[in-house]
Amino acid sequence: MLDTRRPGLVHACMAVLRRDLTLAWRQRGDMMLPVLYALIVTSLFPFALGPESALLRRIAGGAVLVTVLLAMLLALDAMFRSDIEDGSLEQLMLAPQPLALMMGMKILAHWLATALPLIVIAPLLAGMLHLPGAVMPVLLAALLLATPLLSLLGGILVALTAGTRRSGMLLALMLLPLCVPVVIFAAGALAAAQEGLPWIAPIAWLGAALVLAVVLAPLACAAALRIALDS
Amino acid sequence: MANWIPLWLHKLSSPPVFYRFAGVLRPWAIALAVLLGLVALYGGLVLAPPDYQQGDDYRIIFIHVPSAWMSLFIYGVMGVAAFIALVWRIKLAEVVAMASAPIGAAFTFITLVTGSLWGVRMWGTWWTWDARLTSELVLLFLYLGVIALYHSFEDRRQGARTAAFLALIGIVNVPIVHFSVVWWNTLHQGSTIKLLGPSTIAPGMVWPLLTMMVATKLYYVASLCSRARADLLALESGKDWVRQIAENEVRG
Amino acid sequence: MNAASLQSFLAMGGYAVYVWPAYGVFFIVLLIDWLAPQFRRRRLLRELRARMARQGARKERASSPSPLRGEGWGEGPRLP
Repeated sequence: MLDTRRPGLVHACMAVLRRDLTLAWRQRGDMMLPVLYALIVTSLFPFALGPESALLRRIAGGAVLVTVLLAMLLALDAMFRSDIEDGSLEQLMLAPQPLALMMGMKILAHWLATALPLIVIAPLLAGMLHLPGAVMPVLLAALLLATPLLSLLGGILVALTAGTRRSGMLLALMLLPLCVPVVIFAAGALAAAQEGLPWIAPIAWLGAALVLAVVLAPLACAAALRIALDS
Repeated sequence: MANWIPLWLHKLSSPPVFYRFAGVLRPWAIALAVLLGLVALYGGLVLAPPDYQQGDDYRIIFIHVPSAWMSLFIYGVMGVAAFIALVWRIKLAEVVAMASAPIGAAFTFITLVTGSLWGVRMWGTWWTWDARLTSELVLLFLYLGVIALYHSFEDRRQGARTAAFLALIGIVNVPIVHFSVVWWNTLHQGSTIKLLGPSTIAPGMVWPLLTMMVATKLYYVASLCSRARADLLALESGKDWVRQIAENEVRG
Repeated sequence: MNAASLQSFLAMGGYAVYVWPAYGVFFIVLLIDWLAPQFRRRRLLRELRARMARQGARKERASSPSPLRGEGWGEGPRLP
């Protein structure tokens, strides 16, 4: 009896994850918007800089990274928006399960719904800018480590703005200082790979940062949420 | 709860007491700040000899370096106040943290502008992606983020606590940014500019610099008192002591 | 200090274009920072006095025997 009333931790995590992914899947159109945005931005670069492939090749890595970052920022605002509006986030805060774990699951769901499609089309974006094929695996590795980091950092900030009504520009202002190191290391790996230098060190730094963020960010996110929604 | 806090500090954290205390402290702090500032300016602009390499251009140092120190110092104060505000929920700590943010942003802005004006002549460019400059720019964005987050809440106390949390995140962030930009610069092997090389500074330049540093600290105290007083009035506008102040000022 | 030395002081060894704007920014920014909270404090007190005057007037009206306005209008919603 007790088991059915208080589901286990794993069960609860899975329930939150499944719920969020189902909701995202029902809004497939919204899910595609960041992808479309990234495509548009990337196709603008050649128009602005000229079609010389040497120049485009040089900026390709950084341009794709920044484009993916901006596309993620576009979707960040909506991370907990509907949950705050329909009150389900407050239910989650009252639930017996640790809030940090639940927030971690929500961030994971958001990453799967918004960042994964972007990573999938990243080779296409890079190809549009003539990124050498040999650098492609490094780009994917950098994105696989950098995008969850951005989602985790963004999750904290979104939790902080949970009590406000509009937060679009505010989120961008707050995220910029936090994402500078992420961009530097991800772009550093790409630049090193393009010059034929060893690129494992920046990737390793990104990995270390991701491990730290996976542990700390959900805790910070939960704390931020309690502060921002406590009245 | 507050057994270990000295009694007077505990008393001081009550808004009306602090309001009066800040009112007394403020004129003294600003008077001393102006006095020391003028002395430092006289020493820096008139008495100090021109630098043998940079001529008179280096005289920007007397405002640039104290401002840069203040931009970091105020962030430290804000971080400590933010921590106290979040852990012990002391209203005064929230006020101090949020009143510090605009002053810190002002000093950071001054640092960036005076640094660019100096750099135009010294390096031939007004901006370079050096670790210190980039960290200072990130610091400005952090300050602006804290201020914007604070003002985006309708409830001021809630806004203060939320922005305090952001300030604490920023404290972790600044060293990381500095370290990553240093690494990034070595990778790009671009600017190898040293802001203040191991050049020996003449003693005639040191004392105005230190005097200016004290003057900016005192200015910060005075401005903090000013802002904290205004914030306390806004926060406690329903209370009797604020009403009394409003009535007394109309008579006086 | 005679006029020539004053002129050379203002010229800053040819770097006046860089030195004086830097000092100008320093003083203007700090002046704004210094004045802003004082104006704000004065404005807050003025608003508070206006609110107190309104509340006082309302209380007087509530205590006077007016059949139309007397009920349910005691204290208005207090602004934050």
